[in-house]
Amino acid sequence: MIYILEDAINGILMGSIYGLTALGLTIIFGVLKVINFAHGSLLMVGMYVALWVVSFSGLHPYLALIVVVPVMYLFGYCLQDVIIKPIFKAEKDVREPITVIVVTTGIWYILDNLTLLIFGPQYRNLPDNPLKGKMLEIGDMMISVPKLWGFIAAVSTAAAVYWYFQKTRTGRAIRATSLDREAASLMGINQYKIYNVAFGIGTATAGIAAVTLVPFYNIFPTVGVLFDIKGFIIVVLGGLGSMGGAILGGIIIGMIESIAPQFMTATWTEAIVYGLFLVVLFVKPSGLFGVKYDW
Amino acid sequence: MTHQNIKKFSLALVGIIAFVLPLVLRSPTYLHILVLLYFYAYLTTSWNLVGGFAGVLPLGHAAFVGIGAYTSTILFLQYGISPWIGMIVGSILATIVGVLIGLPTLKMRGAYFALATIAFSEGVRVMIENIDFLGPFKLNGPRGLLIPPLNTGLANFLFVGKEPYYYIILIMLIMALAFTYFISRSKLGYYLNAGGEEPEAAMALGVNVARAKLIAMAMSCFLTALAGTFYAQFTLYIHPRSIISLDLSFEIAFIALIGGRGSIAGPVLGALLLRPVSDFSRIYFGATLPGLHLVIFGVVLVLVMIYQPRGLQEPLTRAFNKLLDRFAVKTTMEDKK
Repeated sequence: MIYILEDAINGILMGSIYGLTALGLTIIFGVLKVINFAHGSLLMVGMYVALWVVSFSGLHPYLALIVVVPVMYLFGYCLQDVIIKPIFKAEKDVREPITVIVVTTGIWYILDNLTLLIFGPQYRNLPDNPLKGKMLEIGDMMISVPKLWGFIAAVSTAAAVYWYFQKTRTGRAIRATSLDREAASLMGINQYKIYNVAFGIGTATAGIAAVTLVPFYNIFPTVGVLFDIKGFIIVVLGGLGSMGGAILGGIIIGMIESIAPQFMTATWTEAIVYGLFLVVLFVKPSGLFGVKYDW
Repeated sequence: MTHQNIKKFSLALVGIIAFVLPLVLRSPTYLHILVLLYFYAYLTTSWNLVGGFAGVLPLGHAAFVGIGAYTSTILFLQYGISPWIGMIVGSILATIVGVLIGLPTLKMRGAYFALATIAFSEGVRVMIENIDFLGPFKLNGPRGLLIPPLNTGLANFLFVGKEPYYYIILIMLIMALAFTYFISRSKLGYYLNAGGEEPEAAMALGVNVARAKLIAMAMSCFLTALAGTFYAQFTLYIHPRSIISLDLSFEIAFIALIGGRGSIAGPVLGALLLRPVSDFSRIYFGATLPGLHLVIFGVVLVLVMIYQPRGLQEPLTRAFNKLLDRFAVKTTMEDKK
């Protein structure tokens, strides 16, 4: 029994990190109404940036946040401004342009394979990592310390972004644009600038997720794909556009992944996750916690 | 010569070149590349039926390739049934699965449909990887199935050289293109076109958009699964990660989008432009610059989406028509009389 409890706790912790990676996806979808297929690749970029910052400066791995978050914000902001905005403008009338989905897929391929070209396929870890394999013992249970920090980061990031969207002027403008583009534009909101900011925030949260992952996860060019697919499942499960849903969806996936192997072959859990995803999609496409959209 | 005549003439010329090419080109490497080029052109043409005409973005077509390949291979290896029959059985199975998946998902818009198809194809892959025996059928899990190249001949869909494969896939491609041409000129084609562009307006005019999309999905799955059997018989080895991979699904979609989705020539054009890039960069830079061709794919895709959202077939068709204008004899009213 104690093992199941331990697995459940570790599942919740890991799941909240999945949720953190999906948070940016759901923010970007909420505002742009576009699934960002390149999100996993942005996470991968964040992990490489964090790795360099830590190995060049010798700082504590979590202090890399100071560099990674602004860098990722700028990266996302520019990506949206330079590549995605022109297409958005060209397909203004389409509510949910497929072209933009395709372009983000193109960005995914470029980022992943450019990283492969430049840095090679080898797995990398942090050099002399102070958090490596660190465990917290509670009674008979062992709880991973970096994952615990990940959980704290996930919850506080979601809370911070929520507060930002509720209380600040830009946050309100973002919410207005997400509700109705035309009406927001008429109120004097520059919608394209809002898209840039939203994309930047989404990318920055991917950067935070990257920093929490770096101390206990391998870094390699296609690491993003893993989180990409999980991210899609999580956001649909939690409801596209819902931030709390993203974190909770992540925790559900994390729990399934950690508890299910107690009862069956570990590789089957992946099939369960896909099955659950399809069931939710068919039965309740708006997700468990999402707002009902018209599709 | 008039426009129409020149068009017919050049089409016939391309056809003749395609048929005599293996007689001139003796190198098995180039033949292999060409076979794969036609294979991708065929898959993309099949994808185009639903991805192009129906205006949705399916990103899981590799699952249907896999269903076709596994069905015919299992029937062939375990029961000795000719792959030609297995091909049809696999396609019917894929069509049923495709309709079952399409029923709930085709109603969804853009992103949801794309995600559902991705999850479906990944789900199929994980299932096959985890199942060694499905009832009496041996799937062999992640190890895949090996087709021993014994008893070659037309009946067993096994040949020594690459030429027979070349002609088979070429004929399949021509038939798929003819089928697409026929569909695009039919009532269904117009329904799909209307439903893809303006679903509300089409529905208001009494077009059953959902039904048209479902029929397109069924036809697309049927054709795609046929190619799965071809792939299995050509490479003689199938395993879940090679045949039901996201990379295959995405490459099919990329070729169609770059070539021009929703047009008949687009998929062929896309394959013609992209497959050589992928093959030659793998041959010459595979060891030193891994992933180069995928970077090129990505860059081309982004550029095409920004500057030519309808694909490369549009500017090329325009250029071709301009060329025609220069050479063709102007038909005036007097000529027609």
